[in-house]
Amino acid sequence: MPIRRLPDELISRIAAGEVIERPAAAVKELVENALDAGARRIDVTLAGGGQRSLIVSDDGHGMSRAELLLAVERHATSKLPEDDLVNIRTLGFRGEALPSIGAVSRLRLQSRARGAGEAWALDVDAGAVGAPAPAAQPGGTRVEVHDLFYPVPARLKFLKNARTESGHASDAIKRLAMAHPNVAFSLVDDERTVLTLPTTLGDQSEQRLERLGRVLGRDFADNALKVAAERPGVRLSGFIGLPTLNRAGAQWQYLFVNGRPVRDRLLLGAVRGAYQDLLARDRHPMVALFLDIDPADVDVNVHPTKAEVRFRDGALVRGLIVGALRHTLAEAGHRASTTVGIATVEAARPAFFHPGGNYGGGSQPRLADAMRFQAPSGMAAGRQAGYDAPAGRPEAVAQVNGSAYPLGAARAQLHTTYVVAETADGVVIVDQHAAHERLVFERIKAALASTGVARQLLLVPEIVELGSAEADHLLARGEELAALGLVIEAFGDGAVVVREVPALLGDTDLQGLLRDLADDLAGFDQALSLHDRLSEVCATMACHSSVRAGRVLSSAEMNALLREMEATPHAGQCGHGRPTYVELKLSDIERLFGRR
Amino acid sequence: MKLRIERAALLKSLQHMQSVVERRNTIPILSNVLLDASGAKLALTATDLDLWMVEHVAATVEQPGGTTVPAQTLYDIVRKLPDGAEVELVTETDGRLLVRAGRSRFHLPSLDREDFPLMPDGDLPHRFNLAAADLRRLIEKTRFAISTEETRYYLTGIYLHAAKTETGTTLRAVATDGHRLARIETALPKGAAQIPGVIVPRKVVTEMYRLIEGADDDVALSLSDSKIRAEFNGAVLTSKLIDGTFPDYQRVIPSGNDKMLEVDAKAFAAAIDRVSTVSTEKSRAVKIALEKGKATLSASSAENASATEELAVGYDAASIEIGFNARYLIEILGEIDGESAEFAFADAVSPTIVRDTTDQGALYVLMPMRV
Ligand SMILES: Nc1ncnc2c1ncn2[C@@H]1O[C@H](COP(=O)(O)OP(=O)(O)OP(=O)(O)O)[C@@H](O)[C@H]1O
Ligand SMILES: [Mg+2]
Repeated sequence: MPIRRLPDELISRIAAGEVIERPAAAVKELVENALDAGARRIDVTLAGGGQRSLIVSDDGHGMSRAELLLAVERHATSKLPEDDLVNIRTLGFRGEALPSIGAVSRLRLQSRARGAGEAWALDVDAGAVGAPAPAAQPGGTRVEVHDLFYPVPARLKFLKNARTESGHASDAIKRLAMAHPNVAFSLVDDERTVLTLPTTLGDQSEQRLERLGRVLGRDFADNALKVAAERPGVRLSGFIGLPTLNRAGAQWQYLFVNGRPVRDRLLLGAVRGAYQDLLARDRHPMVALFLDIDPADVDVNVHPTKAEVRFRDGALVRGLIVGALRHTLAEAGHRASTTVGIATVEAARPAFFHPGGNYGGGSQPRLADAMRFQAPSGMAAGRQAGYDAPAGRPEAVAQVNGSAYPLGAARAQLHTTYVVAETADGVVIVDQHAAHERLVFERIKAALASTGVARQLLLVPEIVELGSAEADHLLARGEELAALGLVIEAFGDGAVVVREVPALLGDTDLQGLLRDLADDLAGFDQALSLHDRLSEVCATMACHSSVRAGRVLSSAEMNALLREMEATPHAGQCGHGRPTYVELKLSDIERLFGRR
Repeated sequence: MKLRIERAALLKSLQHMQSVVERRNTIPILSNVLLDASGAKLALTATDLDLWMVEHVAATVEQPGGTTVPAQTLYDIVRKLPDGAEVELVTETDGRLLVRAGRSRFHLPSLDREDFPLMPDGDLPHRFNLAAADLRRLIEKTRFAISTEETRYYLTGIYLHAAKTETGTTLRAVATDGHRLARIETALPKGAAQIPGVIVPRKVVTEMYRLIEGADDDVALSLSDSKIRAEFNGAVLTSKLIDGTFPDYQRVIPSGNDKMLEVDAKAFAAAIDRVSTVSTEKSRAVKIALEKGKATLSASSAENASATEELAVGYDAASIEIGFNARYLIEILGEIDGESAEFAFADAVSPTIVRDTTDQGALYVLMPMRV
């Protein structure tokens, strides 16, 4: 086939494909334009997932007749005044969005420039620009996109169903809305209002938290810690969730660079680094972080949809994030997420309290659920075994005044697994194993940091049979393990011999420890840093030497556990990110009984 | 069944019974003690299905027969009865057991004695007698080293066997948790030369020790490959053994350790205990620096506390510095009956031997720590 020059139209459509790959991308571009135009309120309307039509109207500064014509021309922009790609302060800068959308849809722009007497409309149909005509537009700009991708049927085929596409569009709006709490947003999807975000009040951080609460849910607002840190030329602010407020996916991590939502690997990695050893590998924190950086120090022009950025000094940014987050999390200490307690109450409540006054009938299954939640069957065993132990020494319990401590005074041990404590305004239930595991973990880490782990040499070395792959995995990381006090050597095919163990662990289940370590190491992501791995290993070690569920604790032991939790950083969750305790406020309990 | 029995004798036996009975039982009858009266004796039996304790106590039997009742409750009742009381045990028509003493009456629920598990029989071909004091010594000086780690079940007991040495054959008890080891021997009793090497579970060791506490008579021990029996003063304890192979412990006892240290065991232990106070960790490492005539003990903690103490000791070899788990050292020194303990070191990473200078039958091995 001979080489030929592509017609302009086709070039536009190909270029459009890069920028606009789905309706949500068009929404994002149009909302960004509205924000760049200084809008205070932005309304989006979708039909057919945005493919049939999507409309974005704003109350920004608008465009004149001449500007309208320029706006749909490729590489026409009002936003790079000095042709300076270095100092970009707006969301748009390429002059590519509108022509791209126009190339693949029926596009209609309506705008009235601020202060102008008349409004103008302009149509673009599959790249063919019509003539401006007078229009009835009260102020600001209205952009309508109909039949998106109709000139490129191939693209149409790749669209998901309408609901999925609207979901993406909604996500795009939410992301931008998080960064602009002083702008009101609404989204109507097939005539249903699915999002209303009023403008917020207060200082920047109050506004932000309110907006984040509306977008991410109350859970986040209630369990968020404020982050603020600064280095020359960079400022980090925003909110991060307590580790106990975690999710299965990383999509709940919102990162903004100069108000622009990004999904940048460096930033995500830094967040992960900050939460490492507070969360299991498959759990992710919720964060909304805003990085304000001198535009000259960041390149936003590296990705067609501007989702990634490049920093001039990546290490500085990473260091700032990890340091600030770690500091914030450490200050939060033992605080665990309230969602845990509230979810518990929610689980129990419906069965007990029917506002309609109907106690039978249709609610049978829920009632059964609730009964199970109370676990009466296990209770009998608990009473025989562990329950009477603390109750037998009421004097010791009475000495501790619950209101004096955040985690209260231990009142009982249930099922030889949970410690129940009374606080000034509620009840704390501690998972003794998870809590002790965290304390041991922090202790191992402290010892590791200061003196190195003392190693007990084994008189009778322990041989552990593993698969040969597992054995190789462990042996390959022999040096790291030795730094943690575990010295192993190869012992024939698929087996290792343990020569030295961390003295901290005492006489311990080495077979189990090594198997778990092998599993851990085999599952590791290669990109994790050395320290990540060591901490993971520490968590496993801690798990193996912790007080198990099923051990009877005296009231002195229980109170000691509570006091140590209060004094230990990160004590609110175990090494795997599960909460170590939940707190039920009296008000929660009152709700249980329908008293609120 | 109807009988009368001395409170003191019944109490002593019930003490043995309730200690065999496990606190938590999924099989109700295992919480019970089997009572069986015949002739002029009451036989009591308790079991956890691994270990059986049978004891015969003199009683005035008016009507032979038997039943099973909760061991713990019966023990608690008899314990609270006044000293010197005579206890009457009568099975009632409704199946309950009446316990009567003075003006107290108790009715205890019973379970059918036919349901009480029978002790599996089997031959215990090796039989020998051992003075209670000798058996006590074997147990006392080894049990601290028994492993508590269930995954290494073969270390969770005392290895009892006949061992050939240069001076002849001895009866040996060995225990190790993989960190330290205790090897205690005593003159080979008649009939023990051919015994198999057996691992006696911790619980059996404890019950056996309880049985012979404070007594001087002989204990009759019988063994097979899988069972052990101890008979003493009318009590018979029979138990399964740990089915496993005890490691070849001789291989870990070094023979070439030539740096000899002699210390006053009590003073040395007290100094170690003092110095290790500062280390908050469970491992409680203590460092011993030895030079001619002097030992310097030191310890420190991650929190920056430290301690040192110097002692005059009998040491003439090259200087050496070696770390140990303080608790391990103190426990071994606690087993030294004589005035001085003798340590034999090789270097800082090899097993150290500890001996009692007045008891050549006791030997301890301790692995150092890297600190
Ligand atoms: N809602 C609006 N209100 C006012 N002016 C607008 C609006 N939308 C677009 N414009 C004008 O049209 C121009 C072109 O918009 P377009 O989105 O195509 O490019 P851009 O925003 O400059 O750059 P980018 O391609 O990076 O988005 C903008 O520079 C701006 O001047
Ligand atoms: Mg734009």
